[in-house]
Amino acid sequence: MARVRLEHVSKHYDDVTAVDDMNLDIDHGEFICFVGPSGCGKSTTMESIAGLTKPSEGEIHIGDREVTNLPPKDRGVAMVFQNIALFPHMDVYDNISFGLRLRNYDKEEIERRVERAAEIVQLEGMLDRMPDEMSGGQRQRVAIARAIVREPDVFLMDEPLANLDAKLKVHMRTELQRLHKELDTTIIYVTHDQEEAMTLSDRIAVLDSGRLQQIDPPLVCYNEPANLFVAGFIGSPSMNFAEAMVTEDSLSTANFSLAFDPASVKAVDVGDEVTVGIRPEDIYPGGTRVEVEDSSSLISTRVDILEPMGDEIFAYMLLGERRTSMDQSRADDQLLMSVDPDSTIQEDTDVEVVIDRENVHLFETASGEALAHGLSPVSAELKNETTADADN
Amino acid sequence: MSSATDGASDDTGPLARWARTAIHNPRRVYRALFYVAMAFFMVTTVFPFYWLLVLAVTPQGNLLSGSFLPTVDLFGVRGTFPLPVPKGFNPTAFVTVFEQVPFHLYVLNSFVLAATTTVIVLVVASLAGYVFGRIEFPGRALLMLGILAISYFPPAAFVIPLFQAFAGNAPITIPFIGVPLFTPPRLLNTPGSMVMPFSALFLPLSIFILTTFYGQIPDGLEDAARVEGTTRLGALFRVIVPLSAPGVATAGVLTFISVYNEYFFSSIMATSPEASKWSPIVGGILSYQTQYTTQYNLMAAASVVGVIPVVILVIIAQERIVSGLTAGALKE
Repeated sequence: MARVRLEHVSKHYDDVTAVDDMNLDIDHGEFICFVGPSGCGKSTTMESIAGLTKPSEGEIHIGDREVTNLPPKDRGVAMVFQNIALFPHMDVYDNISFGLRLRNYDKEEIERRVERAAEIVQLEGMLDRMPDEMSGGQRQRVAIARAIVREPDVFLMDEPLANLDAKLKVHMRTELQRLHKELDTTIIYVTHDQEEAMTLSDRIAVLDSGRLQQIDPPLVCYNEPANLFVAGFIGSPSMNFAEAMVTEDSLSTANFSLAFDPASVKAVDVGDEVTVGIRPEDIYPGGTRVEVEDSSSLISTRVDILEPMGDEIFAYMLLGERRTSMDQSRADDQLLMSVDPDSTIQEDTDVEVVIDRENVHLFETASGEALAHGLSPVSAELKNETTADADN
Repeated sequence: MSSATDGASDDTGPLARWARTAIHNPRRVYRALFYVAMAFFMVTTVFPFYWLLVLAVTPQGNLLSGSFLPTVDLFGVRGTFPLPVPKGFNPTAFVTVFEQVPFHLYVLNSFVLAATTTVIVLVVASLAGYVFGRIEFPGRALLMLGILAISYFPPAAFVIPLFQAFAGNAPITIPFIGVPLFTPPRLLNTPGSMVMPFSALFLPLSIFILTTFYGQIPDGLEDAARVEGTTRLGALFRVIVPLSAPGVATAGVLTFISVYNEYFFSSIMATSPEASKWSPIVGGILSYQTQYTTQYNLMAAASVVGVIPVVILVIIAQERIVSGLTAGALKE
């Protein structure tokens, strides 16, 4: 049973703090993704778990043991590296069996395990090849075989798919999931690709500037982001943000307002500055057919750019008085909407849109902390009033 | 080349003509330069070896009489043959070499000294090269500079203090205070008195070479080895050193050859040129020279014999270097 626990782990370099007071509790058999932009500390955290980097403070536990000061070889971890890191002077068999040979397993046992690992990653018949005779995907599979052959308690994968081409990446992604099902070990996976994190993991740990922002199942991170950073990072394309002022009956942004009862959210008072977050898929063209239960009032916009993706169209909308492309310096004046591919909207036309109020996120502007996910329905009376407001 | 050059050739000399065609055909210049360079290389490196062979097979009585450059008479034209040829043929010199003095023991001495030094230098320089090449620490550049600075010292500067220390009769004292610490054992006429200074003198170069090579091995490989189950030291010797084989071979061959040919230190640390006192090859060669005779043919034959082990070593090392262990499996 390999539970991985990080308690108050920090890593300071001369002038930067790579990891800041990280607390994590990863269950046995869990697939965890560390995700975040470059330099957020995800690799450093992983290296601390592997033992390649010694944390400045804090404790790391794997299973029942405290491993903070143990060398990497005694931690029962195996790692797959971003640059694959096969030993170029050894053939595939020697690469895979390297760890076993160091641990003095007997020959038959090594042979049996290597063959089994090669079978799992579908490398049969390639055991006598040298790494430089193999393709990128094959090398990556050798690296994975090298990791699984030791039957480690914890798998660490540091952006293992980063160097593969798009098609192979998707293929290896499913292979990894299959592998996880088959092996039933804890996997910690580092990536900067939120899509990879969403599809692979049981829980996502979102990191930014050395701090853990949120650790939750993918859909929770998506639907209930803990703060502005997570909201902006998870989801592609990313969430629309607009700064708003809380009034007695609405959230008033520079270009539109949403009916809102300040009493419905505990931490909000009239006059507070909040940030409204709306995902592109929660905005709908109004007027024609509104399939949203609790929609906002109509907001008039102008279509600036359309990006057809095939299964959907991303529409960049301009808000506010002067709706011209030239004058879009402020993010507040832009709204990204995802619409059906059979939609008839055209570039440079005026369109009225509605927002699905159930999926509007509220954040405190100053701290970035989430205040509410979804606005509670307001009475029809109030709604009409704000509509009138917006029209004025 | 063209008719214009042909027309101009009438009123100019051959060199000017050659230069003119060469301008249009630079490959001729390259070939000419190649021959010049090859000739220079042959004269400076291969000719001395040939000259040794000529001397070695010339019977001793013929050495000092007549010329090594024979006069040839070719259909009435007399001239001097430009290459020295042996005056007579006496291959037994290669046997006599071992009969007069135990020359094989001198070769063995040099070989043992060189091999021991090479092993010590490679092990210590590997550790140092790992630290300098792969670990960041304050003062690294300064320390490296210090090591390189030592290698610029003239070795002669160390001879007197080292001889005193190895003589084993003067106690080591604390400088300026004069408090004696301990009396070192007598190391003169033992391999220790030679291997130690050799190792110290040839370390800086090897450290420098290995630092460069070890520094280029990607961190990922070392990390992978450590996660797989080696210590840092294990990763160094199992992954980094094998991948730096060309560098290790270079450092090893340079050290080996330098020590194998070394005479200055060993002539002093071995108090007389006897094989039992660990005198090296040069000591052996010089012992064909006695108070009244100098057997040039034997000295030449001994020199040729002494070169053979090094030639073998270089051929082996060459193969190792060429065998190309550097092909990368790393996707960068």
